[in-house]
Amino acid sequence: MSQGQVLVVIPAHDEEESLARTVAEVRAKAPGVDLLVVDDGSTDRTAQVARAAGAPLVSLPVNLGVGAALQTGFRYALAKGYDVAVQLDADGQHDPAYLAPLLRPVLEGQADVAIGSRYVSGRSSYRAPLLRRLGMVFFSWVVRAAAGRRIADTTSGFRAYGRAVMKAGLHDFPKDFPDAPLLIALARRGFRLVEVPVEMRAREAGQSFYTWTRSLYYPYKCLLASVMVLLRRRG
Amino acid sequence: MTFISRAQVLSGLVAVLLALLVLELVRRRKLSEEYSVLWLLSMTAVAVAAFATPLLRWVTHAFGILYEASTVFFFGLVFVVLVLLHLSVKLSRLGRDAQVLAQELALLRAELERRPDAAPGPPAS
Repeated sequence: MSQGQVLVVIPAHDEEESLARTVAEVRAKAPGVDLLVVDDGSTDRTAQVARAAGAPLVSLPVNLGVGAALQTGFRYALAKGYDVAVQLDADGQHDPAYLAPLLRPVLEGQADVAIGSRYVSGRSSYRAPLLRRLGMVFFSWVVRAAAGRRIADTTSGFRAYGRAVMKAGLHDFPKDFPDAPLLIALARRGFRLVEVPVEMRAREAGQSFYTWTRSLYYPYKCLLASVMVLLRRRG
Repeated sequence: MTFISRAQVLSGLVAVLLALLVLELVRRRKLSEEYSVLWLLSMTAVAVAAFATPLLRWVTHAFGILYEASTVFFFGLVFVVLVLLHLSVKLSRLGRDAQVLAQELALLRAELERRPDAAPGPPAS
């Protein structure tokens, strides 16, 4: 990995407690990559923490959602000429030690999107609650039925996106949950998706993005959006 | 037209008053012209339905509705739902536009802060 090629985008919404550690860990474990913190309209000291850590920072004036924050990172990466953008959560779930294997297929031109997946290998220690596991199996099936591809971990936020995908994502990108519908849309546009086995950790601080009210809205939105992706014309 | 019921007068009056209100809002620039179209159309529909008794009877009969007043309510409701749907579409579009603007603003501000010679940005919040 050479400097100026890979941008690690860290969307952060009220992550003052874990952000500094995440930034430090990326620098320690993946010294060859640049990083960008996208503060998604935080009401806490997220922006100050990022500044204090000396991380390049883009501060959204209002809270837009994790997808829109990532898209902001895409705009930045495209303007600065990066080849690959990696989404890495600020809460410490994603271990930067896996950046190298995640980036490899995209940098070598074998894939357009690499998804850090908890389920590809059997060694992951991650155990989700039953309802969540059911949802994951269900959406994995939805993606398979709609896109003809098996993606075991559709909700993984640990992904590497190639430049062409970033460009496509500027016009049409889910602003809240960039999961199953996005994967289907990308597969139908002919982008090559690949899963890379990673291990994820429990959150270090803050609140999970998926609270229980969202656990009702999430399946509705993702299923509807998936169907809509299929009803739209390819291209 | 043989006789005009009080209900007809009432619904006609309400339709005319609401239409006047819509026009006044446009005049005061509180409502843009494009949004006034659907509202004025719905007021006109209610007014026409209220006074064109033969037409109302015919429509009521054709749709198998039992009671003329229900026909007025039905079409009034259809128009109101259309207006609401129209607003939801506009709202979705507005949200998308606001998202792009917020992103571009954030990127520009980051660029400004990066350049030491640039004009000072807004105070850090």
